[in-house]
Amino acid sequence: MNISSAHADPMRIYRAKRDSAKPRVTKNYNILGFISSGTYGRVYKAQSREPDARIHAIKKFKPDKEGDVTTYTGISQSAIREIALNREISHENVVALKEVILEDKSIYMVFDYAEHDFLQLIHHHSQTLRTSISFPVLKSLTFQLLNGLLYLHSCHIIHRDLKPANILITADGVVKIGDLGLARLTYSPLQALYTGDKVVVTIWYRAPELLLGAKHYNKAIDIWAVGCVVAELASLRPIFKGEEAKLDSKKNVPFQKDQMLKIFEILGTPDERDWPGVKDMPEYPNMKRLDPYTNRLRDWCSNRMKSQLGYEFLKQTFVYDPDKRLTAHAALKHKWFQEDPIPTQNAFESLQAHQHPPPRRITYDDAPSMMPLPTQAQATQNVAQAQATQVHALSMSHSMSAKSMSGRGSAGSVGTGVGTGGAIGNGTAGGGRARKKARVG
Amino acid sequence: MATDFWASSQYKRWIVDRATLKRARTEDLRYVDDPDLLDLLNIFLANVIAKLGKRLSLRQRVIATATVFFRRFYLKNSYCETDPFMVIAACCYVAAKAEESPVHIKNVVTEARLLFGGEDYGGIKSFPSDNSKLAEMEFYLVDDLDCDLIVYHPYRTLLTLCGKENSSSVVEAEAGELGAGIQDGPRYWGTGEGKLELQETALQTAWLIINDTYRSDLCLLHPPHMIAIAAIYLTLVFHAPTCASIRNQSHGSSSNQSQPQSQSQPQPQPQSSQSTPGNPRRSSRSSSSQPKKPSQDVIGFMAGLNVNMEVIASIAQEIISLYTMWDRYNEDGHDGSARTAFSTHASSRAGTKRSSGGTPRSGSVASGGTATSRSGTPDSNAPAVVTPQYLTQLLVRMREAKLADLAHPDSGRPMAYDKRLGRTQNA
Ligand SMILES: Nc1ncnc2c1ncn2[C@@H]1O[C@H](COP(=O)(O)OP(=O)(O)OP(=O)(O)O)[C@@H](O)[C@H]1O
Ligand SMILES: [Mg+2]
Repeated sequence: MNISSAHADPMRIYRAKRDSAKPRVTKNYNILGFISSGTYGRVYKAQSREPDARIHAIKKFKPDKEGDVTTYTGISQSAIREIALNREISHENVVALKEVILEDKSIYMVFDYAEHDFLQLIHHHSQTLRTSISFPVLKSLTFQLLNGLLYLHSCHIIHRDLKPANILITADGVVKIGDLGLARLTYSPLQALYTGDKVVVTIWYRAPELLLGAKHYNKAIDIWAVGCVVAELASLRPIFKGEEAKLDSKKNVPFQKDQMLKIFEILGTPDERDWPGVKDMPEYPNMKRLDPYTNRLRDWCSNRMKSQLGYEFLKQTFVYDPDKRLTAHAALKHKWFQEDPIPTQNAFESLQAHQHPPPRRITYDDAPSMMPLPTQAQATQNVAQAQATQVHALSMSHSMSAKSMSGRGSAGSVGTGVGTGGAIGNGTAGGGRARKKARVG
Repeated sequence: MATDFWASSQYKRWIVDRATLKRARTEDLRYVDDPDLLDLLNIFLANVIAKLGKRLSLRQRVIATATVFFRRFYLKNSYCETDPFMVIAACCYVAAKAEESPVHIKNVVTEARLLFGGEDYGGIKSFPSDNSKLAEMEFYLVDDLDCDLIVYHPYRTLLTLCGKENSSSVVEAEAGELGAGIQDGPRYWGTGEGKLELQETALQTAWLIINDTYRSDLCLLHPPHMIAIAAIYLTLVFHAPTCASIRNQSHGSSSNQSQPQSQSQPQPQPQSSQSTPGNPRRSSRSSSSQPKKPSQDVIGFMAGLNVNMEVIASIAQEIISLYTMWDRYNEDGHDGSARTAFSTHASSRAGTKRSSGGTPRSGSVASGGTATSRSGTPDSNAPAVVTPQYLTQLLVRMREAKLADLAHPDSGRPMAYDKRLGRTQNA
């Protein structure tokens, strides 16, 4: 060893220390199978090797690749967000992060496992049961969702990507808000969220102020998304199922005309007396060119929401003016939750065992290089079973949360000039597979 | 969390005691002649962070976050086993992301190479041009930080307590005047009670004092609101115009009425989620019900904060000690510190302290010397005043000495460690 090597690589001692650390993921967890491939990474079902043998979901962020070799290219903004926020928070209705493991150029977030999610439940009802979700279940889910959201909001966190696939439910019927990959801290009520993200929230759940190009927005965008989610629980299909207009060549965000129209068809054209601020919206001139519509939410609700209070609840989450929209706090106090059926702590309490949604399916990892295939006999069996029951179909939750479906994938924040490089991994570009694109820049 | 410091990772995991700090420096202490040099390194390296941050156009808040990351990293690591310049670059890179103002990794590499390659640092040639080296450091850094990336700072408390939270001057400040960190709303601790009217220049002094505290380990020892209060305290004691107005005030208590702005100050809302039952440190519980104290009643203000004033006084004392130490550090150019306002106090105290120790200070500036004699009293070895070049070379020497020790197991290093190192070398 010669001393000049201290010059050559001043971090040698440190690196030697670091590299001598033992790998922890496969040592501590038995990977049971693959759950889903999201925008930022892949999610696995795993069992702790500790005596408690708890089940977890491990989200592995995609390592960056340069050619065939993985190299370090910087942790994505989304991963930093999700990790940073999750380390601070703790609430019954927010999915709990158990630990983060940084190992072998990859980041693994270990979450408590949730057996179901809203999307899977909706599909179970629309495809398999062909019945609507009962109101005891629907109201319990909504109440718990709002309860988790109130917590996030009181922590000054805007989720910015609430949609059925990101709202999980445990086998015990407890709602867990997940996927804080787009969430961020906000402070003053109408702060300009200028840095990084031009567009947030998957288009079907995107609030009108965002569609109209507002530079300033606040927690109210999450409440709009809750309204969309509740409507979807009630009708088993997205209430405002618009086509997303793609970014133009200069990566400008176009006016989302179709989405806007889908909203107007049910809620009517915004009245400028009710929402004075609409005139200042960048896309206001474009909006004015659309045909006028009248509000027919009451009709829409009549056979879907059943109760008058249910209609009023939705109406208030769909108030155009963000400042007049229901807050999470007020929503929880809404009279709808005080009339029967009253929300329950276990959302499935009213159900018989066979009425529960089916467990999440797991599959083989279709990119096994990311994580070794399960070796344990039991795990293999698990997977084999899963395979057998879904021979030619992808697992439902898998296919539905995949970004290949148009619309679903449009969440995305558009990176700014500096923000789009994979290296800083800042958010994403808009468009169909928005969050994916961003990383390419 | 973001409203509640007491539930934060910072409070739960990253406020440490002096003994922990001392343990963290054990290894480094073996490689410096004068323990003060480690304090001087603290000043120097924080300045480096600020400089790199400015080159990257990071806001003051982001620079502060990067500095806290740096300090936390060295709770677990030693200077002599790492390259602090690489760590600094990674801290800035991560802090920018954690504070939602990301910069491209290429920029960080470029600016780091320009800055560290400059004369001040003796032209460090080793900073790699390859992005992946910085990205690798980021990866290790985030791990060593236990993924705790949200940091509370004293700035918010200062603005809350001094009633500037919503004033126009703060809005302007957000554009860069006082530095930023201001747009953060009710993220930081503060009582809504007994706000203090500080003159604009006094507020600025307190702000700069807070900046200065990052040159020491204070951010690891105390909650940010305590540091903010200590900065206000020091401002009240030492800021000349403020002192004058306090003196005037004690002559006629009617002076309050002559200051209409005290009535028109916006009141911060008592924060709803703040009250944690059973936590005696929180004073917000009384805030809404109690009548407002006269805002210029300084003593009443301090008392009304319901914090341990002994702790505040000791933090203030530590800040003064920092300024004393800072006198031994010589760097060209204006560093934006508030310590000049304290120079008379600081240097007179320094004088007393040193003369009592029997080692009068010489005015000589050691630049890049190689004074490494290992005998005698500390003060006789280290130069009285050090420069960035000197400290940069000190870091290299520390690392080389550590490597040499590793190469010679007689020095007490366990063999196993050497073997491991050998393997990585061969790999
Ligand atoms: N804790 C969990 N328990 C069970 N399944 C989970 C858990 N967390 C995530 N999943 C599953 O993995 C999917 C993707 O997770 P997540 O939304 O966190 O990642 P993402 O990369 O942001 O994905 P997307 O871009 O699809 O939103 C979820 O929709 C859900 O089906
Ligand atoms: Mg998701």
